[in-house]
Amino acid sequence: MATSPIDMPQKVERKMPPVLELIRGNIIKHGNPLALKGSEISAWAKELNLPKTGNLLFYTGGEYQLLPFIDSLVKTMTVMDSNSKGFSMLMGVRNILGKTGFAPEKIYASVLAQDKERFNEVSLKAARILQSLGYDLCYSGEDELYSGALLYELGYWEDLASYGQKVMEVFKSSKAKTIVCLSPHAAEVIKFAYPKMGINHDLEVKTFVELVWEQRDKLPKVNFNKSVVIHDSCRLAREMGVTEELRDILNSMNVEFKEPLRKGTWTTCCGGPNKFMFPELSQTIAGGRVSELQSTGADLILTSCPYCLSALEGAIDKNNRDIIADFIEFLYKEIVE
Amino acid sequence: MSVQKENRSKTMQKEFSEYSKEVDRAQHDENIRKAISRAVKAYRETTEKTMKSYPHTPEMAAEVREIKRQSVEQREELVAQAMEAVENNKGKAFFAKDKHEALVIASEIIGTGKTIVKGKSMLGEEIHIREYLEEKGNTVWETDLGEFILQLKKDRPMHILSPAIHVPREKVAEIFTDFFEKEIEPDIAKEVAVVREFMREKYFTADVGMSSANVVAADTGAFVIIENEGNVRLCTAAPPIHIIIVGTEKLVPTFQDAMKVTEVTWRYAQYPVPAYVNIITGPSKTGDIEKVTTYGAHGPKEFYVIFVDNGRSDMEADDDFKQASHCLRCGGCMYECPVFQITAGTFGETYLGGIGTIWNVFTSGGLEATSPQLYTCLRCGRCVERCPMQIDVPNMILELRKRLAAGEVIE
Repeated sequence: MATSPIDMPQKVERKMPPVLELIRGNIIKHGNPLALKGSEISAWAKELNLPKTGNLLFYTGGEYQLLPFIDSLVKTMTVMDSNSKGFSMLMGVRNILGKTGFAPEKIYASVLAQDKERFNEVSLKAARILQSLGYDLCYSGEDELYSGALLYELGYWEDLASYGQKVMEVFKSSKAKTIVCLSPHAAEVIKFAYPKMGINHDLEVKTFVELVWEQRDKLPKVNFNKSVVIHDSCRLAREMGVTEELRDILNSMNVEFKEPLRKGTWTTCCGGPNKFMFPELSQTIAGGRVSELQSTGADLILTSCPYCLSALEGAIDKNNRDIIADFIEFLYKEIVE
Repeated sequence: MSVQKENRSKTMQKEFSEYSKEVDRAQHDENIRKAISRAVKAYRETTEKTMKSYPHTPEMAAEVREIKRQSVEQREELVAQAMEAVENNKGKAFFAKDKHEALVIASEIIGTGKTIVKGKSMLGEEIHIREYLEEKGNTVWETDLGEFILQLKKDRPMHILSPAIHVPREKVAEIFTDFFEKEIEPDIAKEVAVVREFMREKYFTADVGMSSANVVAADTGAFVIIENEGNVRLCTAAPPIHIIIVGTEKLVPTFQDAMKVTEVTWRYAQYPVPAYVNIITGPSKTGDIEKVTTYGAHGPKEFYVIFVDNGRSDMEADDDFKQASHCLRCGGCMYECPVFQITAGTFGETYLGGIGTIWNVFTSGGLEATSPQLYTCLRCGRCVERCPMQIDVPNMILELRKRLAAGEVIE
């Protein structure tokens, strides 16, 4: 413990890169990194009429819903200075903020309706799959907030300590004992980061994959005449320890799968984590991983993380994107539809 | 905005923008791409084979983790013990608390107008010793082939073990043709031969040989240097003076501990066995005439050791980072790093990749100057899978981002 002012750790006021400040500001002000509206994020759930309280809280954190907007934001920032993408990424954000602050309607004008629909549907599909396996879900609807995973990742722990309390209040109002997360990033943050920030809870944190795995005996055998390859997400494999579960599920369904050179806890990162800071590098890394996965000769790449899906898809030609799907989309097609 | 804050922001912006350009340039560099993809493939294949031939290695790595953990706890005692051992062995031991002190001590031993043959050393890069000694009017030859190429190319290492990993044979031929003023074909054997011939004379006419060490045994004052080329043998044995400049983190308690660290280091650096393991404890001596000990037989007559702290004790005093000092510098993590596989050592500064970023914060630049590297790390964690010391790089990176955002200072 520091006892005299001389021993106190020195602190300075520091201005972080604008792109990081933008994400931080959006999370704190709007409850998600891209400043979307709660009503937009929860629109997928209208037809399900899920109760707001229950034992098992279905938590999207808005992460799949955000995906089509991420690319738009990154593009808006990178077209400003074609000579130096990295540079404009970091410095150009101020220009898109303008005098009135962040204007989502301007930035996201080019996001296609079909993309919005596809990613909104991932949450709907996940809920339907779990229901079909006998789970009773509750959902916080428009009140649902993003987990704050990026505050944790980018170093804004002081902000997460207070923001996370707000997220926790929403969780608590559901009266749920267990929370099922679609994104492994959300699961990691709620399970491991919140307690570190003094946000204590006794919620049991599960991932979507784990819940499906627990009921794998109920999964039907399917006639899928192509082969798949699993891209393990770093967070799911290394932090949540979920690797064999994915394979068990496919085995239960009689789906043939191939294994890439690097899998499980040795999986190759999709490049997603540095998309905001180094978009070009991020895409190159994603391209490398797609090649690794494709060299297995499999017809379909399956991922179980929204950011892996977004990053890997970004490295695949637009006309060829049916070679990749989220695990949720795959399961839904095979067992619910 | 205060003036100080404004200046800090400007520096950080400048660092970010220059670094981003470097990263983008590196990922379009065909040489880097070609060389790294070959190196990664070779590393993975060789390591897999090597581990099968020596299956006790992971168990020994666990022993080394414990040795390293204990060594951090006893650091001050180990430094004192090793310095005493060096003196008992008729060498001279020095302690440098920072880069500047290390350079001044080395320069005072060497003086000016001397020729120095030098083995590869990351600490040398950290304190820029070659440049400093040259400024003082000396001639310094890097004897490691990769370092020699970079010395001529005026470039910096892109990998800690294979520093010129990004320079293909064609480029080497160009550089050598220029330097030797005769046509050198892009043929690797011929390129190696021309340097061998050139360096041979340097070893035997140099005034000083300089090296670092991979491991140091405190009880015996034994310095262990792993190598393959044979250049370290020559530059530590032929000149009349040998100077070792070594980081305090290399110290372990006993000679037997040192042997374990040595084997684990080379094994994870993909060698079944290296060509040479040098163990040096002092100046060359003989008692063959009348049992009178005389120094400077065939090897150096004078032996100096400079132990360098330069931020290491701060790193080891911090519970969040003390484990980073366990790094053996085997380089295995770099081959598994998805960023490094694209950019090579552009992701880094003196030290490279994720673990290098942590080292750079404490030893070569501080938190703010290293911030672009902090955000390059994907925090994917595959380095931890490879690391024989299981250093938790992703969480250390996170802790540093937190301190950066919170305005903390590490300089």
